[in-house]
Parts: sequence; C-alpha cells; structure tokens
Amino acid sequence: MTERLVYLDNAATTFPKPPAMLRTMVETYARIGVSPGRGNHDLAAQAGELVDEARSRVARFFGAPDPQRVVFGANATDALNTLIGGVVRPGDHVVTTRLDHNSVLRPLHHLAEIGAITWDAAPFDGRGYVDPDAVAALLRPETRLVVMTHASNVLGTVQPVAEIARRCAERGVRVVIDAAQSAGKVPVDMGALGVAGIAFTGHKSLYGPSGIGGLVLRPDLEVETTRFGGTGMDSASLVHTRSYPLRLEAGTLNLLGVIGLVAGMDFLHAEGVEAIHAREARLLARLRDGLAAIPGVTLYAADDLAGHVAVLLATVAGIHPQDVGAILDGDFGIAVRVGVHCAPLAHRELGTIDRGAIRFSLGAFTTAEDIDAAVAAMETIAGG
Amino acid sequence: MAETARSRALRTVAGRPVYFDDEGFFWDPDDWSDEAAEALAREVGIDRLDEVQWRVLRFMRAHYAHHGRSPMNRELRVGTGLSLLELERLFPDGIKMGARRLAGLPNPQTCLD
Repeated sequence: MTERLVYLDNAATTFPKPPAMLRTMVETYARIGVSPGRGNHDLAAQAGELVDEARSRVARFFGAPDPQRVVFGANATDALNTLIGGVVRPGDHVVTTRLDHNSVLRPLHHLAEIGAITWDAAPFDGRGYVDPDAVAALLRPETRLVVMTHASNVLGTVQPVAEIARRCAERGVRVVIDAAQSAGKVPVDMGALGVAGIAFTGHKSLYGPSGIGGLVLRPDLEVETTRFGGTGMDSASLVHTRSYPLRLEAGTLNLLGVIGLVAGMDFLHAEGVEAIHAREARLLARLRDGLAAIPGVTLYAADDLAGHVAVLLATVAGIHPQDVGAILDGDFGIAVRVGVHCAPLAHRELGTIDRGAIRFSLGAFTTAEDIDAAVAAMETIAGG
Repeated sequence: MAETARSRALRTVAGRPVYFDDEGFFWDPDDWSDEAAEALAREVGIDRLDEVQWRVLRFMRAHYAHHGRSPMNRELRVGTGLSLLELERLFPDGIKMGARRLAGLPNPQTCLD
C-alpha cells in the first residue's frame, strides 16, 4: 500500500496544475484584481486590457478570426447552454451524437421536453467514431445546428469533425463542437475544422483553474442573449448590450479565472501541445497493452489508439466498477473516474449503463511509473 | 434526506416494512437494524454474518453516525484494518453492493456517476 498519489483522472480535471500558473494567478490578481472594463480608474483599464489580450490569445489558439467573438463563461457546459439556448428556435431540429456528454444532451432534452425542439443523436461504430454519413442522414430542412463532441470523454476518440462539418455545410447547417476533451490535447482550429463555434473549458487540458471556459464563435453565427445584466457598457439603457462579446456576458467576469486560463495556455505553449500529446499517446499505448494482457479486463474501442486522446475505458469481470475505483484509490493511491461519465447514451451503446466503467485519463504530468503502477494494481484486483 | 430522481420500493425485511432504492440500498439509513442486515445477507447467500463482517458493518454504521456520511476509501481501510481488496472479497457482492449496502449506508451512486 502506498500514499503516493497516481492521478489518472485528468479528463475530469487536470491535476496537479502547473505551479507557475498558480503563482501567476495569485500575483496578477493581487496586483490588478478589480472589475475589468468597469469604471475609469487605471486598474480597471489594466484589468480590461488583460481580458482583451486573453480574448486575442484564445482566438489565436483556436484559429478564430475575431477576438470579440471569444465569450468567457464558467466552463464548457455553461458555454454550451449559452450557445444552444441562444441559437435554437421553437420548431428547430438539432443533431448530436450518442457519444456526447450531458452538457449537450441535457439542454437538448430539456428543450425537447418543453416542446421547443426535436433532436436526434447519431450512433458511433465499434471503434468509437461517428460516421459523417450517419450525421448527414439525420439532417432535416429544419435542422438548425449540429452540436457534438470533438473528443469523446468516454472513449477518447477524436471525431471526424472536419468531414462532418463539410457535409453539413453542403446542407447549410452549422456545426458547433464541445472541445472540453480536445482543446490542449490535439489541434482545435476553427478554420481547419470548418466549425461555427467551439465550446471550451479552462480546467482540463488547457491547464487553467476551474470556473473559466467559454465560447469561440465564427462571425456568421449569431447567438441571442439568454442572460441579462450589467456589462459595463450602455448602462443607462435597460436593453442588454448587443455587441459581442458582452452580448453573451452578464455580470462581472471571472478575472482570476481568465488570468489562470492564459497562464495555463502559457504552460501549454512552453511544453508544446504536440509534445504533450505524443508523450501521452506513448503512455496510453503502454496502459492499453498492460491492461489488455490481464485476464478478466475488458477494454472498449482501444484496438487502434491512433485517433485518441489519452482516455481508456475498462471493466473488470465480476467486480463492480465502483469497487474497482475504490480499491485503486484506497489500496493503491490511484485516482480514476468510475460511473457513466455524464455520457449515458455512450454507455448504453457500450452495454455499461447499469454499472458504469472505469476511466483512466492521462495528463501532462503522468509518468511511465504511474502507468506501471496502475497496470500492476489492476492485475492484483482482477486476479482476485 | 435530499431529494433524488431515483425511485424507491417498499419491501418487508425482518418483519418490518422498509423502503429501498432501485439498487437495493436503504432509502433511509435509520431503517437499518441488525436483523435487517442479517436478512439481506441471507438473500445474497451469507447464512450468518461472521465476526469480521460484523466488525466492518459496525465500523461503517459508527462512522456514519458520527460524521453524517459514509467513510471514504482510506477511512474504510484504516477503520476496518482490512485492505479494500480484502473487503471486496469479504462480501459476496463486494464493497458497494455488499458491505455498504448491508451496512445501510446511502447509495454512493449519485456522487460517483
């Protein structure tokens, strides 16, 4: 038994955070932690400049043309709610996938429950990929939007978004992606993917803190305001600011989070997204090979890891996944995520909806020793 | 108890009507009794809970009574003196569906999904 923590729950949130990111947050917030863009004092102006620079930084990171279309929010779920609620209209149809997270499924389900929209979810194949033909087959004349995950939080498979967006564009339908699991792991370029919107979160592979995320919008995608309040502009008017990004930001921004987001992206820039991904891919293969050799362990969609971010799903015959997670944690100091990972349709397809499964997810600080410890622990557990 | 979306069903256990959730966990931990634990144990093939099993259940109950929550993984290991793998093997249905359920602790489903 060991008290050393092996953290393999990076798809939930990356941990630990880069120390420099945490230092920058504290130091910068201590220096200019005021309400950005409000008031006419210099500190407010400096904080406002910092936020503007952060928008530019995020726009460049995602290959977006206009920093003013970078909208900050709390996380990807918050961003997706803002987007879905601000784009769809009564009578619309929306397409998603059966791999998607409840951050997409629940807003759509809610809108359908109140009779506002209809929606369909495209299936995925045994390798964990959605066929662009399957998405195209679901499009209808009244389809307003395709909103889908870029990388599955259950299987790690990076979806063929560019091809899906191309097929949808032929039908005049815009695609928006949930990049919660892909941003910082693989290139997410708005132009190259052909998507009209990207929802992102700061606390996963962008190595920022929790509580900051947002939307990156292509200028041709109009999103109506669904939350109203102070923006620091047009304050004499009762009408919420119409211009972006304040159109979709009500109330004081999470400046501390914005500082952390940029500092997290500094870490990514210094390390290199491709270098981190290459390292994680090697470790993922090591984990897959180790687990695949253990009798009683089942892996899901893991035969070919070429198009994966570093996520691996497993079950152990005869042991409840929650017990496996508890044993890994309590006996071996290994933190993983068990359950259905807020992706009920994916787990239904995989046949794991009743008891869930065990998700291993790697990060920039994962080592080969961590992987070997996880494999050895699983061998002990499965051998029981 | 907090409102949940789970359904519950009424069963008679050890001569008393008791609500259980859809995974067989006590709806209200206060409905638990030694007799109920023995009755549920018989349902999963344990003729009679042995001394070690009772020590585990007593620790879980005491922890819940004192802290108002189920023991965390490391607390379970330290408090029972057993590894979690040993605990898994001690009950036919393992830790969650065996030990935690027979101890009448709240279903950990909602915080783990």
